[in-house]
Amino acid sequence: MKIEITKKWCLRMAEIEANAEIGAGLYALDPVFDGETMPANETSEEPSIAFGRFVRLMRRDRGLTLEKLAEDTDVEVAELVEIEEDTHHKPELRTVYQLANYFKVPRGNLLQVAGLTAPRDNRLIDEAVRFAARSESVAVLTPEERAALEAFVAVLSEEK
Amino acid sequence: MTITVSPIFLFNAERGEPEAAELWDGITDQQLGDWEGEWVPELFKAVQKLHRAGVERRHWPQSRHWNWRKKTEALQGMLAHPGFSIVCNGMTQGMMIVDTTMKRCRIEEQKGKNLVYVEFVENAPWNRPELAQPPLYRGIGSILIRAAIALSQELEFKGRIGLHSLPQANSFYANTCGMSDLGMDPDHQDLRYFEMTSEQAEAFIAKGNQP
Repeated sequence: MKIEITKKWCLRMAEIEANAEIGAGLYALDPVFDGETMPANETSEEPSIAFGRFVRLMRRDRGLTLEKLAEDTDVEVAELVEIEEDTHHKPELRTVYQLANYFKVPRGNLLQVAGLTAPRDNRLIDEAVRFAARSESVAVLTPEERAALEAFVAVLSEEK
Repeated sequence: MTITVSPIFLFNAERGEPEAAELWDGITDQQLGDWEGEWVPELFKAVQKLHRAGVERRHWPQSRHWNWRKKTEALQGMLAHPGFSIVCNGMTQGMMIVDTTMKRCRIEEQKGKNLVYVEFVENAPWNRPELAQPPLYRGIGSILIRAAIALSQELEFKGRIGLHSLPQANSFYANTCGMSDLGMDPDHQDLRYFEMTSEQAEAFIAKGNQP
């Protein structure tokens, strides 16, 4: 339906409304964000080797330092270090979002690989394990590592 | 889904001038995409900042026991409902979802009559005063309420609308919109229920036409 609203009306009401909060309805309530967001039974306590390895290889493949990746993704460098070094580290949701956007892979898939959501796609998890096994770190990115990385990215990029 | 676009204006507080925008009579995949891809990460950032600044959790904006997936699923489930969205500068700036069939008026003088019940109104995080200083666009709430009234009139509900306001928004619905406050509703997590009569709807529209 077409609604006729004059410019004058819009601007007068914008002036009256000013910086008012306007949220209404139960759906407008913000979800809690403090790392306790996901119920415990929906997240995996399994170490997430593949996620840290994935971040490290994607970073190295682009020739980025941790500092540069932190800057580009607006994620704290300390968290990136933990992601790459500590397989038990549970990254913040926002961090996974930022990394998924940056590396251009679907967020839902990366959340599963990071262990933040319950695994829904067994093939993805199998591939993550295979990737972790094939991509053991050495100083430079070898052709094998690159092949492993590319194969995993291909699976990770599949939209359901 | 066919979307009709009505031209509107928002006030860009950063530039201090009006900016042309669009009122869409629906919520589309584009809005959901903007919500998931732009609103949610922005909200994460803002809430995280509050957390790090040592703000007590009870002071966080509208903090409740929700999780993102639940909210996303709830919103996706509501895609089929009628609604409106405001798009400016290629980005969704505000969204509203309404129910035109299930709810009835509660105010005594119009009790039991049909109304447009506003299920959900939300401003983009960068337009929210508790998250962004200063908020970017002004006027989104008024235009969405105006749209709800227009839909109510179109359905011959004479401008009657109702909604449950978040605590921070009570003053907007009571004072700016001039709606009647029917008090806390235990069935809606104690949010206050506000309702607008056809006279109040007319007064609200007239308010924006006054110099």
